[in-house]
Amino acid sequence: MPRSLSLTGRILTRLWLPVVLAAAWWVSSAGSTSLYFPPLSKILAAVWTQWAAGPARAQLASSLEHLVTGYALACLLGVGFGALLWSLRHVRDATSPYVYFLYVLPAPVLVPAAMTLFGLGFSMKVVLIAFAAMWPVLLNTLDGMRGVDPVALDTARALGVPPARRVLSVVLRAASPQIAAGLRNSLQVAIILMVVSEWVASTDGIGYYIVNSQESFDYTGMWSGIIVLAIIGTVANLAFVAAENRILHWHYGARAVEGAR
Amino acid sequence: MRLRAALVRYGSRLLVLVAALGLWQGLSAAGIISGDEFPSMTATARALGDQAGSAALWTAVGQTLAGWGAGLLIGGAAAVALGTLIGLNRFAYRSSIGVIEFFKTIPVVAILPIALVLWGVTLNMKIALVTFAVFWPLVIQVCYGVRSLDPVARDTAAALGVTGPRKFAVVTLPSAAPFIATGLRVSVAVALIVDIVAELIGGGSGLGTRILVAENAGPSQYPAMYAYIVVAGILGVLLAGVFAVAERRLLHWHSAQRADTVAPEPAAVVPVAS
Repeated sequence: MPRSLSLTGRILTRLWLPVVLAAAWWVSSAGSTSLYFPPLSKILAAVWTQWAAGPARAQLASSLEHLVTGYALACLLGVGFGALLWSLRHVRDATSPYVYFLYVLPAPVLVPAAMTLFGLGFSMKVVLIAFAAMWPVLLNTLDGMRGVDPVALDTARALGVPPARRVLSVVLRAASPQIAAGLRNSLQVAIILMVVSEWVASTDGIGYYIVNSQESFDYTGMWSGIIVLAIIGTVANLAFVAAENRILHWHYGARAVEGAR
Repeated sequence: MRLRAALVRYGSRLLVLVAALGLWQGLSAAGIISGDEFPSMTATARALGDQAGSAALWTAVGQTLAGWGAGLLIGGAAAVALGTLIGLNRFAYRSSIGVIEFFKTIPVVAILPIALVLWGVTLNMKIALVTFAVFWPLVIQVCYGVRSLDPVARDTAAALGVTGPRKFAVVTLPSAAPFIATGLRVSVAVALIVDIVAELIGGGSGLGTRILVAENAGPSQYPAMYAYIVVAGILGVLLAGVFAVAERRLLHWHSAQRADTVAPEPAAVVPVAS
């Protein structure tokens, strides 16, 4: 960290570029009469009138509902099956190529298949998000658990810690940094699938709003949807980092000590 | 002994595959899953066989690979060039890292409508999206890599009078290589996903469009749809595999790489340093 730079100096270095970029967009688009590239002032006004205080709030709510439900399921399934595969060595060995296949399968290809199986409603989106986003969690859980110190596990066993608690307080804890990495990757996958599933076949959600605005030549509306998506991505990421720092602070603390040695 | 272990391992894997395919076929034959919703295993296998002999499949694979490859190349080159410049200058790094982090968190699908407006339903639209998706995560990795340059190596280079492009080639780039490799490994997968999304919802030609067309054509084409899905999965496996081999060959000298060979797959997706 820079000792030569004051706090205000540091804040200024971080802020000038975003401010310049936003200002450049604002000024260059101010007099725009292009249908496709409306003035930024109009886009921001639309974000406010449509999303913050207007009819699109319902789309935002249903998108978030798909995302949160699907992602929560993905986390549970991923950690659950990851732990199960970790404890059953032979099953893990026998299924590993297929788990890997599902992991690298580009998940959006499943959207049409999910449509034929689950229709166009809520369940299709949730199943799709949950299915696609569980693999990074599962593989990272498995991998993190395989890295558990056997000595710690034996110690817990020798001390008579019951199996359920052993898994919770030794295995899960040791694997949690890697599980967190998996959860973060899954979040991105979940957001992509949320939008794609709403886009291709839906009557609600942000994806639907964007494609609908585009088809009715409401490009200001389309841009406002894009801004909202960008905000969701950023906020989700910030929330994730904050939660991770809170929950895993012991890990980063330990790593910092190790690094100092 | 080792032969037996290998036999057990591959035998059990084969058994799982056979059991899964058998279960699938059994459920279809028993009428528990209706062919209108999910095709039988044999129908899908037949469709896959038919497709493998047809030019349509290979054209679609080629179109998908074209968007993937061109986007990866352009985004990768731009990220290495810009990331190096930014990483080498502390002021540039501190000024831009926030902006880069911001762009990285924007879901690429959000950019899709803009790309459609700018390029229409074309290969360039796909390439632009893949480039965007690859660039941001990779440029961060390159910055970290360049900044992680070992001070001893840097001072040695300075003492030996190695500067400019030569320093970049023999000191900076090799030291940043493992970071770049991690970023690329993620990019290879992301590029394929984004490319297929661009086809699926943007309408660009390739596997994604084929799958959607098959879905729209109704139950008679569902076997073909699942055949395409399997092909997309195989493509994912192959691209990841090729990359892993290339990485091992090119970076075998690096200690992190040697330690990494124990668990090459999922751990790899974890972004290094943050």
